Amino acid sequence: MFNESLSVIKLKNILLVTVPDDPGDDMIYELQNKVLSAMEKYESAGLILDISSVNVMDSFFARTISETTQMVTLMGGHTVVAGMQPGVAITAAELGLHLGHALTALDVDSALEMLNHNLANAV
Amino acid sequence: MTYAASNYITVFDKWDDQKTFFCFTPEDAKRLSDFHPFAEKHVDEVVDGLYAHLLKFEEAQMFLDDAETLRRLKIAQRRYFLELTSGCYEEEYYENRIKVGVTHQRMGIPPRLYMGAYSYYLQLMIPLIYQYLGDDLEKANTTFSAMYKIINLDQELAMSAYIHAVEDVISKQTEEILEMSTPVIQVWEGVVATPIIGTLDSQRAQQFMEHLLEKIVESKSPIALIDITGVPQIDTATAQHLIDTINAVKLLGSKVIITGIRPAIAQTLVHLGINLQGIITKPSMSAGLKVALEMLAVGNTGFNKTN
Repeated sequence: MFNESLSVIKLKNILLVTVPDDPGDDMIYELQNKVLSAMEKYESAGLILDISSVNVMDSFFARTISETTQMVTLMGGHTVVAGMQPGVAITAAELGLHLGHALTALDVDSALEMLNHNLANAV
Repeated sequence: MTYAASNYITVFDKWDDQKTFFCFTPEDAKRLSDFHPFAEKHVDEVVDGLYAHLLKFEEAQMFLDDAETLRRLKIAQRRYFLELTSGCYEEEYYENRIKVGVTHQRMGIPPRLYMGAYSYYLQLMIPLIYQYLGDDLEKANTTFSAMYKIINLDQELAMSAYIHAVEDVISKQTEEILEMSTPVIQVWEGVVATPIIGTLDSQRAQQFMEHLLEKIVESKSPIALIDITGVPQIDTATAQHLIDTINAVKLLGSKVIITGIRPAIAQTLVHLGINLQGIITKPSMSAGLKVALEMLAVGNTGFNKTN
């Protein structure tokens, strides 16, 4: 099977991850591991998860995001989930899935703004 | 156009059952076709008689006001009359009869006008039947009975088609109202507003939610105002739909402000124990818009906890 790799991009003090379309459970685990190692390496202040290409979100995915958010918080960063599709949001709200302490944003731009604003206020 | 596939009451598959139900037998069909040559001879007399009768009534005159319409109607009526004794009562016959009902509905002719015409038809036919078969009373009676049954069947088809056509109009309107009842308006750059008018049932809630979420993403609006001034009363189901919508909007990364909370609504919400904590609520749309603009100005539209 083609092993699609996931990249964690560092932008100044923020990490950006684009979650691919239809991520499998392995992919989600990989995401968590990669994000946490990057947090350790760069001591980033924020993480943006761009999920705009994700069409289906299951409870495992939601829980992992929620857990990852908590872990990132423990390591000193804020997490923003950006670009959720309307259909995904409806299903998630109806199923009662939630993303824990993750913040949400319409797109990566507003997620960046949000993190910058938050960091400026925190200092 | 075929009506056989529609959900119309007597679908063509059941047409045979329908004939059996009305005791219309192949012998009846045979008797009617025996009568056909005589009917053909008198068709003009019957059709002219029918229209002469109809034209006596002001209500019917409205639909028969010009000579051209009358001429066309008489031709259609002639064909219709001759089909009654054609002896062949299969799909084509069925389709033609259904068309009668649908056409009358479309022209806005009330059923009582053409139901009366059926009755008048029968009245004109009785003397003809007895004139033709006067020597054989038994045969005249059975022919009359066959004629009576086929006219009854015709009426049933026309009525059912009429009702079906009306139902069609109603369901189309319902759809349109549903469509119209959830507008989403962009009131400011970054702010969309949507008034909810009427009760929010599950079907509407679903549509409302989809519509709102799509519009938020399309316009990249960080704030959505939901105005419930037009909601007559709120119950736990409606509140749940609202909460689901608010949660879905939060997942997208926008914020919801509920506006138009009237005193009665506030009372109900508290009495029902519905928790809207963490959601900004305002008594009026203008108060909500003010808050939204302030939030935009500060740039603090984020920090939207998802729970």
